[in-house]
Amino acid sequence: MPSWVSYQFQPAPAICLSSLGVFSVAAAGGPGAAPQGLRGWLRRAYRFATDRNDFRRNLLVNLGLFAAGVWVARNLTDIDLMAPQPVP
Amino acid sequence: MGGECCPPQQWRRRPRAGASSRSRFRQRRCPRPRWRRPAAARGAGGRRAGPGMGNALGPAAPRAPRRGEPLGSPGSFDELHRQCKEVFPQQMEGVKLIVTKTLSSHFQVTHTVHMSTLGPSSYHFNATFVGDRQLGPTEAFPTLIGDMDNSGSLNAQVLHLVAERIRTKAVFQTHQTKFVTWQFDGEYRGDDCTATLTLGNPDLLGESVILVAHFLQSITSRLVLGGEMVYHRRPGEEGAILTLAGKYTALKWVATLNVGYGGAHASYYHRANEQVQVGVELEANTRLQDTTFAFGYQLNLPQANMVFRGLLDSNWSVGGVLEKKLPPLPVTLALGAFLNHWKNRFHCGFSVIVG
Repeated sequence: MPSWVSYQFQPAPAICLSSLGVFSVAAAGGPGAAPQGLRGWLRRAYRFATDRNDFRRNLLVNLGLFAAGVWVARNLTDIDLMAPQPVP
Repeated sequence: MGGECCPPQQWRRRPRAGASSRSRFRQRRCPRPRWRRPAAARGAGGRRAGPGMGNALGPAAPRAPRRGEPLGSPGSFDELHRQCKEVFPQQMEGVKLIVTKTLSSHFQVTHTVHMSTLGPSSYHFNATFVGDRQLGPTEAFPTLIGDMDNSGSLNAQVLHLVAERIRTKAVFQTHQTKFVTWQFDGEYRGDDCTATLTLGNPDLLGESVILVAHFLQSITSRLVLGGEMVYHRRPGEEGAILTLAGKYTALKWVATLNVGYGGAHASYYHRANEQVQVGVELEANTRLQDTTFAFGYQLNLPQANMVFRGLLDSNWSVGGVLEKKLPPLPVTLALGAFLNHWKNRFHCGFSVIVG
């Protein structure tokens, strides 16, 4: 299912070409516009983070995992497997 | 004594405190030291030939070359990620028996029987001939390798050293009676660079070919930069893809990156100590719109004759392979298991390697 299908619940008409590309903004002005915009942004960010079919989302997640893997390799792997067990 | 190196203390521009004018005069008249070849290197025709012409400390040491430390050969382009890939376990399923017999110092045969749970079982016969010209522990020329299975499919490789720096390789693969792959490589290995040209499936009648060119250059003793260009052509279609590559080798780790229009491949290899090695890999394919991450580790315990390799990747797969030698027999037992949590698939296998 293409990633733009998940944006059908936007209040304003929108054509989403990609996950974080062009997306809609609430058209109505007034005091309720800012919370609506923020809520909409949070909703879109959540959907981007959980959309497994999105290439850029998967690339970002795997880049983060790669960085974490490099950190683990450099800092947590200096283990002596033949060291004697500590005496209780 | 003219031409001998003056002791360093006589070349001070400022006289030491309390020094007499006579010592200053001696400094000005001291001739400039001249570099001289050691007496043994001058030969019979040298102007200063004769015994006793060395300085008080003995014959001068030969000058170090003005260039920096040697850069070293960068190796082959296909082996850029090899250290990281060797850490990961190989997929195992079913039961496999591998018997290797060395018939002479040049010839070796291998029988492989694989009883598979996922596909048809198979038998492979492999013969390897190695020539006399040995450049390293794993490089000998010429090398001929042939592998044939029970259905008649052949996989053959010929590696030959044409000149001291030029290597050639030919690869043929058949599926029963039909040729699937025929490939010819030529590689030039310089002191600090490697250039390779590969022809894949050249077909003069069908006017199709795949041309791959690799180049690697050692920039420093630790940094290697290079690139790959793939050109393919067939009737009505042709195209080229360029990929840039870089590799940095430190004392305990190696980082490699390939970036191109088709995607990217990054790997990090870390040798924590004599027992633990870790590999981290990231692959992104823009054509298939797919990315994968993998974390692997290898535990070596020579005291226990054991090697364990583990794997964890972004496809929700975890797996491990345990290899144990059984001395004094020339037998290695390997046990492997892989589980894909997302697809709910599990397969395990074991193999016995004799020889």
